Amino acid sequence: MLSFVAFSLTRAWQGFWRNAVMSLAATATMVLMLLLLSGFWIIQAGLLAGLQFTEQKVEVVSYLQTNITDGQMQELRDKVAALPGVASVAYVSRDEALQRFRASMEAQGREDLTRYLDANPLYASIEVKLVDPSRIREVGDVLRADPIVRNVINIEDLVERILTVTSILRTAGTVLLVVVGIIVLFIIVNTIRLAVVARAEEIEIMRLVGASDAFIRWPFVFEGAFVGLLGAVVTLGILAAAADPIGRFMVDFFRVLPLQFGSLTRDLVTLVMAAGVGLGILGSWLSVRTYLIR
Amino acid sequence: MTVARLPSASRTFRRRVLGRVEDQATQDRDVLVLHDVTKQYPNGNLALRDVDLVIPEGDFVFLVGPSGAGKSTIIKLLIRDEIATRGQVVLDGQDLARLPRRQVPKMRRKIGIIFQDFKLLPSKTVWENVAFALEVTGTPRRKIRPAVDRVLALVGLSAQSQQTPAQLSGGEQQRTAIARALVHDPRLIIADEPTGNLDPLISWEILQLLLRINELGVTVMMATHNAEVVTALRKRVVALEEGRIIRDEVGGAYHRED
Repeated sequence: MLSFVAFSLTRAWQGFWRNAVMSLAATATMVLMLLLLSGFWIIQAGLLAGLQFTEQKVEVVSYLQTNITDGQMQELRDKVAALPGVASVAYVSRDEALQRFRASMEAQGREDLTRYLDANPLYASIEVKLVDPSRIREVGDVLRADPIVRNVINIEDLVERILTVTSILRTAGTVLLVVVGIIVLFIIVNTIRLAVVARAEEIEIMRLVGASDAFIRWPFVFEGAFVGLLGAVVTLGILAAAADPIGRFMVDFFRVLPLQFGSLTRDLVTLVMAAGVGLGILGSWLSVRTYLIR
Repeated sequence: MTVARLPSASRTFRRRVLGRVEDQATQDRDVLVLHDVTKQYPNGNLALRDVDLVIPEGDFVFLVGPSGAGKSTIIKLLIRDEIATRGQVVLDGQDLARLPRRQVPKMRRKIGIIFQDFKLLPSKTVWENVAFALEVTGTPRRKIRPAVDRVLALVGLSAQSQQTPAQLSGGEQQRTAIARALVHDPRLIIADEPTGNLDPLISWEILQLLLRINELGVTVMMATHNAEVVTALRKRVVALEEGRIIRDEVGGAYHRED
C-alpha cells in the first residue's frame, strides 16, 4: 500500500514535469479561475456585510404618553422584548430626550433654543432594535395597540422597500457566485481533461500491459491534486500581495461601513485551497474515468 | 541474427530464460479457445460470425485476411476490450465474458501485444519503456531490473537500453515493443501487423525474433498482410473473410492453394 502511494506520487511528479507546458498551462488556468472565484467571493462577502449593517440600523421608535407610571412602562418594555425578532428595547426618558436634543444641536453648532422653554416639551420613548427587520410591522402593531403609546414613527413602508432591495441584492449575489463557481468548475475540469487527453497513449499502453485501474487512476489524481495545490498557493500569494493596496484603497469605504472582515481571510484560504485541490482531483478522476470504462 | 533452434529443450530453456515455473495443468491447457463466437457492434456491423478456433500451447498462428475481415475484432475480444455477442472466448481456461472487471488487468498480463505503430512512450528510454510494463502492474522494484535486462538481452537491445525511441530504427523500436510484451512472461503474444511499417529485411528480422520466442514455448498469434512471409514459413494459417474463418490449415500459404 505504501509502495503504491509512493509509486503514484512519483509518477504524478514525473507526469507533471514531463508534460511541463501542459501542466503549467493547466496551473495558470487554475490560478486565473481561482482569482475570479475569490474576487466574486470577496465582493459577495462585502455585499452581505454591507446589507447586514444597513438592516441593523432599523429601529422602531414609539413615543409614550406623559402621564404613565414606571410600572406601565416596564410592562410594555417586557412585552415588546418578548416579541420575536427584537434585539433590544431601550427606554429614553423625557430628560434624556432633552439632553440628546441639546447635544445634537450643539454638535451641529446651532443655538440651543430649549433654554427659553418653561418645561420639557419632549416625550419619553421606547426604542426597539430589531434582529430581523422584516418583523417591523408586527412590532409596530403591538406598540400602536398599547394605550400608553402616543404614536409610533411610521417607517414600515420604507423598511419593507429597503428589505426588498437587500433581499434582491443578496439573491443576485448568491446566483452570481454560483454561476461563477460553475463556470470555474467546467473550465478547470476541461483544462485538466486536455492535459489527460494529451497522454491518452500512455493510458492505453498501461491498459494493454495489464495495469489495474488504481495504478492508472491514482497517479493522474495526484497530479490533478498537485496542479490544484500549486494553483491555490499561487492564487493565495497573489491575493496576499494585493491585499495591502486594495485595503488602502478601500479605507474610506470601510470608514463609512465598519464591516467585520475577521473571518474573511480564513474563509478565503479554505475556499481557494478546497476549490483548487478539489477541482484538480475531480477533473483528473473524471478524465481518466472515460478511459477506464470499457 | 541467429535463431536459437532448441525445440526439444524448449521447455527448460523457456523456464530458464523467462523465469516461469509451470505446473502440469497449465501445460496441457489450450491457450485460446473461441467457440461459436459472434460479434455484432452496436452500430449493427457483424464483425465475426460463428468463429471456432482452438490454439494450443506453443502454436504459431498467422491470422490473415483483407481489412475488415475481423482480425482486429478477434484481438479486441482477446484483450477484452470487447465482449462476444454470442459464444465463448476462453483464454488460458478463463471465460472472458464471465471474468469480473477487476480481474481483467491480471488476465491481460498473460497476453503480450505488439502493434504496427509500436506504441512506445517517446519520453522514456528503451529500458524505461520495458520497465514501465512492470512498474504499472505493481512489480517490486528489485524484480524489475533483472527481468528487464533479461528480455532486452533476448531481443538483442542491451546496448541500446539507454536510448530513446526517436534514436532507434524501426526494427529496434519494434524489438523494444516485443521486449515490453515479453517482460510479463505471457502465455500468448499477439502481434497486430508487426511488420506493417518495416522494410522487408527488417520484417524478416522481427519474424525471426517472434519465431525464436515461439521456440522458447510462448504461443504466438500474428495478424498480417505480409503474404511473402506467411507463404515462406509454412506455419498454421487461419484465413478470415467477412467475419468467417474460411480456411484453417497447418503449413499453409497466404493464399488458397488448390
